Amino acid sequence: MKRHTVKELQNMLADQSISSEEIHQIYLNRIKSMNDSINAFISIESDEISLSSEQKNSEIKGIPYALKDIFCSEGDKTTCGSKMLANFVSPYDATVVRNLREKGTVILGKTNMDEFAMGSSNETSFYGNVLNPWDEERTPGGSSGGSAAAVAAGMAPIALGTDTGGSIRQPAALTGITGLKPTYGRCSRFGMIAFASSLDQAGILSISAEDAAIFLEHMAGYDQKDSTSSIEEVPKYTEFLNNDLTGKVVGLPREFFDGSLDSKYQTLVTESIHEYEKMGVQFKDISLPNIKYSVPTYYVVAPAECSSNLARYDGVRFGHRSSEGTDLDSFYKQTRKEGFGPEVKRRIITGTYVLSAGYYDAYYLKAQKVRQLINQDFLNAFEEVDVIMGPTTQQSAFKLGDKLDDPVSMYMNDIYTISSNLSGVPAISHPIGFVDNLPFGLQVIAPHFMEHDLLNIVHQYQMSTDWHLQTPNLCREFD
Amino acid sequence: MSIKKSDIEHLCNLSKLNLDEEEKSLFLNQMKSILEMIQELEEVDTGDIVPMAHPLQMSQRLREDEITESNERNKYQKNTDSAEDGFYKVPKVID
Amino acid sequence: MSWETVIGLEIHVQLNTNSKIFSGASTSYGSEQNTNTSLVDLGYPGVLPVLNKDAVMMAIKFGLAIDAEISRRSIFARKNYFYPDLPKGYQISQYELPIVQGGSLEIKLNDGTKKVIGITRAHLEEDAGKSIHDKFNNETAIDLNRAGTPLLEIVSEPDIRSAEEASSYMQQIHQLVRYLKISDGNMQEGSFRCDANVSVRPSGQAEFGTRAEVKNINSFRFVENAINYEVERQIERLENGNEIIQETRLYDPDKDETRPMRSKEEANDYRYFPDPDLLPLEIDQETIDKIKNLLPELFEEKVIRYTEDLKIKPNDAEEIAKNMQIAEYFEATLDHFDNDPQLVTNWILSEVIGVLNRENIEINAFQIEPTQLASLLSRIEDNTISSKIAKNLFNQLLTSDETVDQMIKQQGLEQITDEGSINEYVAEVLNEFSDQKDQYLAGKEQVLGFLVGQVMKRTQGKANPKMVNELIINQIKK
Repeated sequence: MKRHTVKELQNMLADQSISSEEIHQIYLNRIKSMNDSINAFISIESDEISLSSEQKNSEIKGIPYALKDIFCSEGDKTTCGSKMLANFVSPYDATVVRNLREKGTVILGKTNMDEFAMGSSNETSFYGNVLNPWDEERTPGGSSGGSAAAVAAGMAPIALGTDTGGSIRQPAALTGITGLKPTYGRCSRFGMIAFASSLDQAGILSISAEDAAIFLEHMAGYDQKDSTSSIEEVPKYTEFLNNDLTGKVVGLPREFFDGSLDSKYQTLVTESIHEYEKMGVQFKDISLPNIKYSVPTYYVVAPAECSSNLARYDGVRFGHRSSEGTDLDSFYKQTRKEGFGPEVKRRIITGTYVLSAGYYDAYYLKAQKVRQLINQDFLNAFEEVDVIMGPTTQQSAFKLGDKLDDPVSMYMNDIYTISSNLSGVPAISHPIGFVDNLPFGLQVIAPHFMEHDLLNIVHQYQMSTDWHLQTPNLCREFD
Repeated sequence: MSIKKSDIEHLCNLSKLNLDEEEKSLFLNQMKSILEMIQELEEVDTGDIVPMAHPLQMSQRLREDEITESNERNKYQKNTDSAEDGFYKVPKVID
Repeated sequence: MSWETVIGLEIHVQLNTNSKIFSGASTSYGSEQNTNTSLVDLGYPGVLPVLNKDAVMMAIKFGLAIDAEISRRSIFARKNYFYPDLPKGYQISQYELPIVQGGSLEIKLNDGTKKVIGITRAHLEEDAGKSIHDKFNNETAIDLNRAGTPLLEIVSEPDIRSAEEASSYMQQIHQLVRYLKISDGNMQEGSFRCDANVSVRPSGQAEFGTRAEVKNINSFRFVENAINYEVERQIERLENGNEIIQETRLYDPDKDETRPMRSKEEANDYRYFPDPDLLPLEIDQETIDKIKNLLPELFEEKVIRYTEDLKIKPNDAEEIAKNMQIAEYFEATLDHFDNDPQLVTNWILSEVIGVLNRENIEINAFQIEPTQLASLLSRIEDNTISSKIAKNLFNQLLTSDETVDQMIKQQGLEQITDEGSINEYVAEVLNEFSDQKDQYLAGKEQVLGFLVGQVMKRTQGKANPKMVNELIINQIKK
């Protein structure tokens, strides 16, 4: 066995063939032996196990997980992939971390990520890029690339990530694992360092949909510290996993199947559709006419919110503080120049531009209106179909450095994933095969708060296929 | 609406960022292509569409007016080495 | 050329909630620096604001009191700018859809004339922290205790035409927020402060002149001084052929002048946009009705009730109602003694306020409870004690825990109203001072006062003076 699912670990713990301390140690050893080549972790938390033993019993007690370094965890260095927060130690737990901690789970370490989650290749991290375990010359995707690589390489059975425009689903697709972005508001954003507040959502990177269901149940829910978290009740996701898919209607948006996808990927998508057909799923062509405006809409809204969210990094109360600058203005400017990398600066400037006097209506307000149209497209589509399917990305993992100097081409990576953030609907990516030994993913999108449907559908697929169980060569056997 | 170097400098001033000359010209070119992409939005007819500020159709919840926080100054000021006598410090400000 | 002054005021009122507008930290004034700062107030990475219910209710209360429209849906926006007292780099405020829109307030000027001042809007926002410039040599010290304190910003129409009107408007808003109990209105502590937008234009011109915004005004006197200075400055510039620069100026009370604020020099572009961390604030009619029913009686209504129902002299009624806490004290006293409201008024305006002024305290720190004042006045009214003894007891009450009745009993101060015993004293006095008695009979009536005095002296002031008077005359004439 090269990797264990959460489900398998649960079973091992239940029949007492292993203790939670042993599990923890095995994963720490794996991280120590593999992290030098993968660079998935920014910091390793070796003593967290002691905290979990005090917690009450739960079905996930003793399960270790990797935490994207965007989540605040009390007493831990929380860098957000930035030099700005290189020495920042969080004095508090994010609500999702607290929720999981109370159930006795154990943080293995904080995973590498694009700086402030801005990036699709993990190359904007101050801590060096993460390598794709399937091919070390390639990106694992981003921004949750560290979490994705950690799960793919078996350095963690499961990981938390965040998804603002595809940052869970795209790296999941590029590393051959399952990545779930829940509905906006399903999981609390409190303690999750903000990039674009109206788009950010915490989610899960796991081997299987079943594992995601197990974790989401404990992570999600209303939080009084987050005004934007939903009071919608959290279902027992695992109870839906085995529902029969017969009669489910899946929409295939013609905008996702417009011929632009390379035929080698298209073939995989078609095969997965056949697989689903065998399970009784019906397919229907639909249209999301405004979806083509997702990328420009996103690149107005996200930078605008980011320019404001990142204003708090001024070197005064926490974070990098420049030793230069004798007056206030130069102190601020120098601190922020030194603390932020180029992608973050570019987005702050873009965001400042679209919000500034004279441009607000033309850019920001316009984008918020188009956002409404995109949302409406989804609502209309879901009148006809239960879920929507399509490729998660336009290609498998690309080579590191390939798109670094061309932001627009980099931004186009997110062309299939961004729309669900704009609308707030949940979406999941799962592996459906390989092209040239690199994994490729299919995305399934559901109406708001229908995560149980997504997990059910993907679980059924994973019951009859084993793409999600493929492991990269560098993945070692378990001791 | 072509963006100029002086615009970049104004934006740097608003967002308190120093950029090297090299970065400024790089950003200027990149901003041009980003704005070109964004300008696609102009072709969408958004006549009386209500802007969507938020994915959730919910209204603001209110918190009871209760003091729930206590003094944690020492803990919170551990993240800066420039606090003195309980104050945060910045270079001298002249009103 | 004659000039017309045009003024609009932005008044910032700190709402007296227990906790901050978006966090559970205390709003108490005077705590040690940065001890009332939660992670939210510090703008820590990852934290989020949650709106304080009472701040919203107080804003609604104010809106209803100025007959404004309460927005059924209002939006919080971010006002983006960098300043060390603003930890997040933006202030959460309301921009396009404020909670209160379109009210008005009638002000009364010194000459008795009245004028209606339009109130454009009142919106909720968070206060900033404080920069302290003289604490360290080369650095500015930042205290964020005040950051996040709820503010109601009340924006007037440019309806104000003089420094006197401005001061009167400010005083009336001050009185109103104290009446509504939504702010302590403490101007020394910065709970109530204002910015004035001042411009001048040639009389008769329709367009407004270029305005200057004068910040940092925290007293009624300063608002007059600052505006007078600014008007003079602007007229002088215009008459010398110069233009007015639209700018932010700071009022310096020590030098009694305004000067440009260096820190606000660069034209600000605040890049307002709806705060994605907060959802639209929706207020239903039920809530509005509930608050409306709980609105207290306001100044004008009180004065009318005092004069018409309680038959108090109009000037006295205004004096009492001017300060809501005094009015409450007055009414609490009436709850226990309602036979003679004017008597209560007289005692409060002379004796009670006398003590407050002498000791420089507010009525809530006044030592005598309304129940005790009421019982003191009822003992006068039922002739148990004389006014003179009552004043003596009033002074004792300031330092004693005893009740009025206990004092009267222990000190044996009950007035003597028994005719028999007074007659005995009268007989004694007439016996001793038979010369004076004869003088009275001879028509020298002034001597009566002397005889009354003698009786009062023998009774240690306790005899009812009116009865003494009558009984002396009776006995002499017998």
